[in-house]
Formats: sequence, structure tokens, C-alpha cells
Amino acid sequence: MSAAQAPSSTSPAVRLEELSDSDFEEEIIGTAMSDHLEYLHRVAPPLRDLLETDTSKAQDETLEAILPFLEGNPNEFDLNSHHLPKLQRKKHVAFLEKTLGNYPAQMAPMDAARPWFLYWSLQGLTALGEDVSKYQERVIYTFAAAQHPMGGYGGGHGQLPHLAATYAAVLSLVIVGGAEAYDSINRKAMWHYLGNMKQADGGFTMSPGGEEDIRGAFCAMVILSLLDLPLELPPDAPSRAHGHTSFMDNLGGWVSRCQNYEGGISAAPGNEAHGAYAFCGLGCLSIMGSPTETLNKYLDMPLLIHWLSSRQCAPEGGFSGRTNKLVDGCYSHWIGSCWALVEAASGKTGLWNRSALGRYILAAAQFKKGGLVDKPGKRPDAYHSCYNLAGLSATQRVYTFDEAMNGNVGKGHLGAPYHWEEKGLYEEDKAWDEGDLVDRVHPVFIVPWGKAEECRSHFEGKGVV
Amino acid sequence: MPILYGANPTWADVTPVPQEDGGPHPLAAIAYAEEYSEAMGYLRAVMAANEYSQRVLGLTEHIISLNPAHYTVWLYRAKVLDQIGANLADEISWLNPTALQHLKNYQIWHHRQTIIDKLGSPEGEGPFISTMLEQDSKNYHVWSYRQWLVKRFDLFDEAELAWTESMIEADARNNSAWNHRWFLVVGRKGGQALEESIVDREIQYAKAAIRKAPQNQSPWNYLGGVVRRAQLPASSLKDFVLEFADLDEPDKVFSSHALDLLADIYTQDEDKKDEARKALDLLAVKYDPIRAHYWNYRKGLLDSSPAAQQIA
Repeated sequence: MSAAQAPSSTSPAVRLEELSDSDFEEEIIGTAMSDHLEYLHRVAPPLRDLLETDTSKAQDETLEAILPFLEGNPNEFDLNSHHLPKLQRKKHVAFLEKTLGNYPAQMAPMDAARPWFLYWSLQGLTALGEDVSKYQERVIYTFAAAQHPMGGYGGGHGQLPHLAATYAAVLSLVIVGGAEAYDSINRKAMWHYLGNMKQADGGFTMSPGGEEDIRGAFCAMVILSLLDLPLELPPDAPSRAHGHTSFMDNLGGWVSRCQNYEGGISAAPGNEAHGAYAFCGLGCLSIMGSPTETLNKYLDMPLLIHWLSSRQCAPEGGFSGRTNKLVDGCYSHWIGSCWALVEAASGKTGLWNRSALGRYILAAAQFKKGGLVDKPGKRPDAYHSCYNLAGLSATQRVYTFDEAMNGNVGKGHLGAPYHWEEKGLYEEDKAWDEGDLVDRVHPVFIVPWGKAEECRSHFEGKGVV
Repeated sequence: MPILYGANPTWADVTPVPQEDGGPHPLAAIAYAEEYSEAMGYLRAVMAANEYSQRVLGLTEHIISLNPAHYTVWLYRAKVLDQIGANLADEISWLNPTALQHLKNYQIWHHRQTIIDKLGSPEGEGPFISTMLEQDSKNYHVWSYRQWLVKRFDLFDEAELAWTESMIEADARNNSAWNHRWFLVVGRKGGQALEESIVDREIQYAKAAIRKAPQNQSPWNYLGGVVRRAQLPASSLKDFVLEFADLDEPDKVFSSHALDLLADIYTQDEDKKDEARKALDLLAVKYDPIRAHYWNYRKGLLDSSPAAQQIA
């Protein structure tokens, strides 16, 4: 017991106390400031170890950079009724319109990731309430050039198909919607391509000869479901040699093996539990069947919920991706969006601190000139903008799973994700006003509400090909 | 100086395939520099012709230098190396500085894995990985690659364990190192039972780390994992947990994780539900209030079936 320490004098809680006692702070920032200090004081962890390591140093520096944004308003944004910065809608729209536009030559390293920039920007724009149908034609021909003759999409013309690019391409086409967009996808070739990605152990690789990880399993399920492709493996699928006949063979078991001793989910069996892979795993299972059934069947749920809950950083309020890592705005989605799926599986709502995440996003993740960030001091990008906004939506809205919802769509295989219902807004301890509301987001596909259903309906009954 | 393929007689037989953008105003379009654009035109052409040659190897190297995140180029390069029977040791030497510059690149690690797999030897990889971890001690790709290496070459030995311990010693909060230890000690066993001596050793190891920093969640998670895996009751940790959190002294709690585990121990005891409730209340109100919703959820479970409650 010798090395166990009582709360140290440098703990954030103590520091906050010092600040709240200071007349100086009161004078310059006024009552808004004292509200925040009261809140921060309430959620700050009182315990802190004296042992200093690289991790604790990085954490201290990070908190030092974030606290001013949680305590005050260094960006001088307009405040909402909770004394928090309003959602800077116009600035974020302008930023995302830019990320959808042209890039200079030095951006060549994003050549293989262009589909992502379309998806993140389009999804971010719709979350902010923008109508993106005006981009439909351009989205269609941008992806026509990236579609591979052997199926799937690459980053651009002449690039090999990759599941990440294919996922981003299909979701972008779903977001702009319309028969022309849907029918631009070569479904038969896609089916064969996905068949090629299926592996002997049940998982999926990202590209021919590429790495196998849980992104592959999630992306494959998303695409099979949205395009209503047959679950049966194509005749030329290599994993047929291992006795597989269906895309689903050994898949649940493979995802299950990705849950590690901490309760979180890793990229592949044996790896460290990680927020982004956790969402991929839960998303994959929530497409394979109703979350109530699949999550409880393939995962140790109490342990998973314990790990997810541990991801919320205090007093920051945002999420970290792994144990002892730093808060990052992208996990507002990767962890934040796990909750709707987990709550559906557990039958309980209100397992997590929505308010604290909402505060982090509004106060610390909005960049002064538009766009959203990992944390203060970082530059905004389409990725962090899209996923902070999805996370903000997750804090504001309640989604429930109901088999009886949407009777007309999702009756066939992989139809579970078409039976979600939006139950309205989550008002308890809220940190937002109506002006800060982000639009509804499909809890599994992360596309605008209704868009996944439209796409699936378009293909249902069309058969393979 | 960029290689100008068009003016180079060794490329005279190839007609480049120009970039096709699909329409007049493609989205997220890049104004490619001439050098990149030309090299990509030649890559598209040789890929269409399935050409595997020394000159294509050079071409892929050129494009990688301009865009190391280009998975297509990496995948095609691996195929070229294979087809022309290239010297793979040279490939690794060329790869090292590139990898150091681009730590978070999926392609480089996968490529390395493909090459080392074919080379059939892990020689030099340990020191290389250590260099990478010096720059970013929690890099996910590096740790995943190390796991692959251990599995591929059956390196589940004392040296690997000692190296992992040195990583934990350098930073007891490096959760990637803890996960690697789990992988080495427990993961390799698959479904087999762990020897009692190993279980004891791991429990003592985690406990020692907790004593150094009781609020460090990594060893707590590890400890809970080992106890669960060995099918020991959580209550076997009760005396240890009481060192850090005792309900009789609610103002002297030294670790919220101890309180969490204590709540779990009491939850599993039919006669101790009130104690479990008290521990969860302390967490929700005082020691870990940001997770109050979660602790209250756990409290709500106290009245449901025992199977739904077990955490540790």
C-alpha cells in the first residue's frame, strides 16, 4: 500500500477549485465561467497517482490544452442558453463544401482516399441539415471512374478495389440517392469481389492480398445489406474451398474472437481493444441480425459495456479510443455511436454521459474558422468533422430497435438494420439548444435517416443480377 | 530530378493510360503535379498489361516516394517482387526509412509482413520494431505486426516476455504492452487451461503494477482478465482490493477501479447487495462521477438475475 497516494495537489479537481476561488477569473468571464467550473468540478476525477510516465505527461499536457475551452470560450463563439458555444453551422457547412472541392498537387497522398473525402463531407453536410442532392450527378461520375471492372471501388481511376473505398463509395451514393446513383453500382461484379475477400477463418480482407481486419467484415456486411446481394458466396469465392457457402459462415465467431480481455473489440483476434474497431464489430453484428440477438450471442456484454464506459475521459467528456489514451473527437462517433447498438441489445437507455460528450464537441472540438477537430490545437478535417457531428447526433437523439418498424423494407436477409426507430430527443441534462441540433443519422450505416431504407427498397426483389 | 517516362527510351514501348475523372467537375479532385500524373499513367498501363519487371519495380518506388498511402502501388509492388524473384532482404532495407517516416500507414506494415513471411526469418525485426516504438510507443500497426511476427515464427519465449516487461516498466500505462503480454501468456493457449503457476505469476505481476499506481486501469483490466480466464471467483481478489477501497473508510479510497471491482465482488454475493450498492454510489457520486449513468445502471442490475451482473 506504500505507493498508493491520496489525491495530489495537482489533480484537475484541485486546480479547478483554485480557479473557481479566483476573483480574477470571475471578473473577466463572469457567470458563464462559474457555471462551467461548477460542472467541471462535478465530473473531474478526484484520484490521481503520483507515478509519472510518458502517458501521464501526455495526458496532463492534453488536459492543459483542453481546459481553457471547457472553462471559457477562447474562440469567442456565440453561446447557447447553457453558456456553451453554439453549433457553428454555417462555418462547418462552408468548411465541408471546401473539403468536397478541389485539392492542390501536394494533396496527392490522399489520392487513394478520395472516396472517403466524399463520404465524410457529404455525411457531415447532411448532418448539418444541408440538401446534397445537387451533388448527385457529380458523385455518380466521380465514382464511375473509380469503379473497378472486377467489382468494388478503388480510390480512383485505375486503382485496385479496396473495401474501405468501396464502403465510402456506396455510402456516398446512398446519401445522394436516386435510381441513377444506385444503378451505377455493378452489383454482380461487387458480389464476386466481396466473395474474393472472404477468408477461410470467417473474416474479410480489405483488398486482394491485403490485410484482414474487422473493418473488412463490417464494410462487407454494409454493402451486402444495402445492395441486397445474395448471402450465398459466388461460385468462384476462394473460401468455398474451406467449406464455406455463405458470407456469414464463421463470421459471428470471428467477431467474437476480436473481443479481448478488456471487453473492447480489436482489429483482429489478439490485438488491442480499440474504439474504431469496436464500432465496426458492433455494426457488423447489428447487420447480421437484430442487436438484441447477435450482440448478446457473440459478445460478453457486461464486459463490453464496462470498457465502452471507461472510454469517456474525465473531465474532458469526450472519448478515448483505448485504455490510457487521449481524448479525440473522432471517437465521439466510434464510441459514441456504439451506445445506440448496445442500448438496443441491453434494453436499457441512459447508460452513458451524453451531456459530457456534447459539451466536449461544442466547446472543444469546433475550430474557430469552421470544421471540427480531434482536440484544441489540431487542424480541422473532413474526418473529424463528420464523426464529431455523428457523435453530437448520438448525444441528442434516442434510437430504438423494433422488429415491427418499417414492415415494407428489410424483410429478407441482412434486413435487421432497416428496423430502427427514432424515439425523439434526449433532454436529460442537455447541453444544446434547438439551434445546435444535428440531423438524424442511421445508427448502423451513418447516413441520413431514411436513405439506407430507400436504397435497400430499390434493390429488394431485384434478385442477383 | 523526376524520371520523365515519356522521354525515356526504356519506356518507349508503353503507352500511358491517362487519368479518367468520369466527368467535367469530379468531387475532391486533385490537381496532380505532372510528375505524379505521368508516373500514374504508366502504372495504369503496366498494370493493365500485367507487366512484372525491374523497371516496374522502379516505377512503384517512384510513386511510393510521392504517395506512400497508395495501397494499389504497394499491392502491385508485392506482386512484382514475387514474379521477378527480387532480393527480399534488399526490399526490407529499402523499406525501413520509409516506414519510419510514415508510422500510421496500413500499407507499409502489410507489405513488410508479406516480405518477411516470404523471407522466412524474423532476423532484425525486433530491433527495428523497438526503433519504431521509441517514436510512438502505442502504435497500433507496430504492435499488431509484432504479434503477427511472434505467431509466424513461434517467438513465444522468455526473451519476448522480458522485452514486453521492459516496455511496461518504461510506462506502466502503456496498454498496448499489457495487451501484448496477454497475447504472449494467455492468448497463445487458445482454449486450454492456464497452469496454476502461470496464473499466480500473472496475478502477482498485475498486483505489483497496481501498487505502483492504483489509478492505472491497464493492470486492473489485466488482473480481472486473468482471474476470469482462470475461472477464479472475483472474491479471491477481495483482500487485495480492500487495500485501495474499503467501504468502512469511504473517504480513503485510492482507486476507483478497486471500488469498481469491489462492487462486483459484492454483487456476486447474495447477502452483500447493499454493500454493492454503496460501492456503486460512491463511484457515481464521488470517485468517478462522469460515469454516474453507468454506475447507476449497474445498481439497477443488482435486482435482476446474477448472470447478467458479472463484470470481473
